[in-house]
Amino acid sequence: MIGVISYLVFFATMAGILAIVVLGLNLQWGYTGLFNGGVAAFFGAGAYVTMLLGGRPEPGQFGGFLAPFPVAIVGGILFAGLIAWFFGVLTLRLRHDYLAIATFGVAIALESVARNAEWLTGGAKGLRGFPRPLEATITALGGGDNFLYGLFFLALVLAVLAAVYVGLERLTRSPYGRALRAIREDEAAARSLGKNPVRLRLESFVIGSMIMGAAGGLYVAFYAYVGPQDLAPILTFQVWAMLIVGGAGNNRGAVLGAFLIWAAWTASGFALAALAPQAMQLYTGPIQYILIGSVIVGMLLWRPQGILPEQIRQQGRN
Amino acid sequence: MKREISGIVAAAALAVLAQTGGAAAQACSVNVGVVYPTSIDWGKPIAATTLWVADMVNEAGGVDGCKVETTLRDDQNDAKVGVDAAKALVDISKVRLLIGTVASGITIPILTSVSVPAGTMQISCCSSTTRLTALAAEGATKGLWFRTFATSRVQGSVAAMAAKDAGYKKVAVFYKNDDWGQDLGKLAAAAFRASGIEVTAQIAISDGQPGYRAEVTQALAGKPDAVYLALYPKEGISVVREWLSLGGTNKMIGANSLKSDDFRNTVGVQHLANFIGTDTSTPRTDSAKGFVAAYTAKFGKPPAGPGLPNSFDATAIALLAYSAAGKDATGAQIAAKVPMVTDPKGEKANGDVEGFKKALGLLKQGKAVSFQGATGALVFDKNGDVSAPAVLWTFGANGIDEKRYIPLEDVEAFIAALK
Repeated sequence: MIGVISYLVFFATMAGILAIVVLGLNLQWGYTGLFNGGVAAFFGAGAYVTMLLGGRPEPGQFGGFLAPFPVAIVGGILFAGLIAWFFGVLTLRLRHDYLAIATFGVAIALESVARNAEWLTGGAKGLRGFPRPLEATITALGGGDNFLYGLFFLALVLAVLAAVYVGLERLTRSPYGRALRAIREDEAAARSLGKNPVRLRLESFVIGSMIMGAAGGLYVAFYAYVGPQDLAPILTFQVWAMLIVGGAGNNRGAVLGAFLIWAAWTASGFALAALAPQAMQLYTGPIQYILIGSVIVGMLLWRPQGILPEQIRQQGRN
Repeated sequence: MKREISGIVAAAALAVLAQTGGAAAQACSVNVGVVYPTSIDWGKPIAATTLWVADMVNEAGGVDGCKVETTLRDDQNDAKVGVDAAKALVDISKVRLLIGTVASGITIPILTSVSVPAGTMQISCCSSTTRLTALAAEGATKGLWFRTFATSRVQGSVAAMAAKDAGYKKVAVFYKNDDWGQDLGKLAAAAFRASGIEVTAQIAISDGQPGYRAEVTQALAGKPDAVYLALYPKEGISVVREWLSLGGTNKMIGANSLKSDDFRNTVGVQHLANFIGTDTSTPRTDSAKGFVAAYTAKFGKPPAGPGLPNSFDATAIALLAYSAAGKDATGAQIAAKVPMVTDPKGEKANGDVEGFKKALGLLKQGKAVSFQGATGALVFDKNGDVSAPAVLWTFGANGIDEKRYIPLEDVEAFIAALK
């Protein structure tokens, strides 16, 4: 039983981290209509910089400054914001599919840097060894068992998730949020009302990317490892699937989508491994891909607005 | 008379009891977790080899008399998915032995955030990064980690040995742009230089490019008289084709990853007359030949992908150690029995059903075994790494021919001389 709980805690931690990324994307796509095809880049930027600042020193390797976790993750968030600002200034005049391609290119470029700039990023072997926040203290409290630390880390992730959620809810219900939606729906109309679309789009892009960077920082603390594989386009795809299934333009939908898709992703592997006959075990991997794909396609056909669609209120509740 | 009858009844009852006891022993099972990238073309045969070994061990009597129940999970070459699968295996299926995986970027987080904290033993066929050696050396793996993939050091050094013997003076190095390739490319280049061979260029080859003309042109500029290839067949084919078509030399040295029919047939064997391959296995031993024959009989084709003999040995050694430690052993107890399975002074046991029977019997009596695996008689060092004898091979008219066998002592001596 304790094993199942321990696994569920682990699962929820990863799902929580992904939910934070999805919330970041929801601000960009759901509210502002920015098609960010490079989610992995901003997640990875946060992850790498958090690791460089907070990791342990290693011979012949840049970084490992052993900064306290809050400092390290803030560094990661700021760096994710910085590159979002830099590439945002360059590309945000692009619309829709053009922006998607440009941001996809940014992600590929950053993955390439991570894979090749060995002195900085450890190259293909990645960076490892991250002192997790308060690990020694809490593990000692739990009598040397790391289950308690797992719970603590889950609580940390959920706290960040809740903070991001509340912050975004307030932001998107404020007049600022309405301005973002106005730009999404009709940029010319928004401009005619005196809104500055370029500036608002850039702000939304940077804030969303910083949220993704925060998730990257938590990810590094969780795995104590980051490598170029973590920046692979599959992450961008997973996060998009979560947002579309959950419901773009709805923060609750974004969180729900993250947990549902990640559960489907992992549970399908678990169920196939448990149920498939021995002779079929070798084929469960590809079958799992087919199942995941079918779920997403099914959702798009059956409920394209997502499980929890966007709710436009005539008047804000607050 | 009555006493006699009751005696018979008692004996019969005992016999029945004994039988049910026996049945119960066969009915027990041990769970073993396997995480490999089964949805990737080269990953599937690696996993198939592992399942095959488990079947053979079961046929030979199982682990400590219990049936091995493997649960195979796909890591999709995605760290999140692989670590989650491993965590489910360790926490829910309660495995104390985890076999996997290939990509070091997934093996490392599984090891540090799942296996080691839970005290599960982990063994991999194919993770090659030197980072794992460093992890073990600083004690972060707590002795729970093993791999049957000889570190790239042996292959890198043997490549230099081959180049020196062939009289090459200037070599260009192509390496696959991943952890394995970066490691091997760097180690080989260092070995070339240490043997007095000039390295004209070290060029990264990234996957999935439509062509490699720019990379090849860059390598040609240094006018090397030979080229070293630390590549997988897919990129290897593209690079070698461009290389030859642009007038590059056909004097090539390649890593064991190119030991593939695909590479041989697509490039064309007539262009590979001066190709020298390196490998760390010992095709001299009967057990290695036995592996090739048994694999061919089982799967209908020879083992021509990367990591197959290593996968065979990883699973076999781990399951034998599990049996020696007993069906209720913890990960640390299984790991502690590994030296008993790979004891050079132990009695030899081959990697087939007969060999497993013999090994299981000896281990049960507390006797050490020297497992003769598909990559020879492996011995792990304190970091869970294996060193190995080496072999040079070529592409012959009918397949892959062994050119020269270099015993472990010679490999070690050559490496020592480089420093």
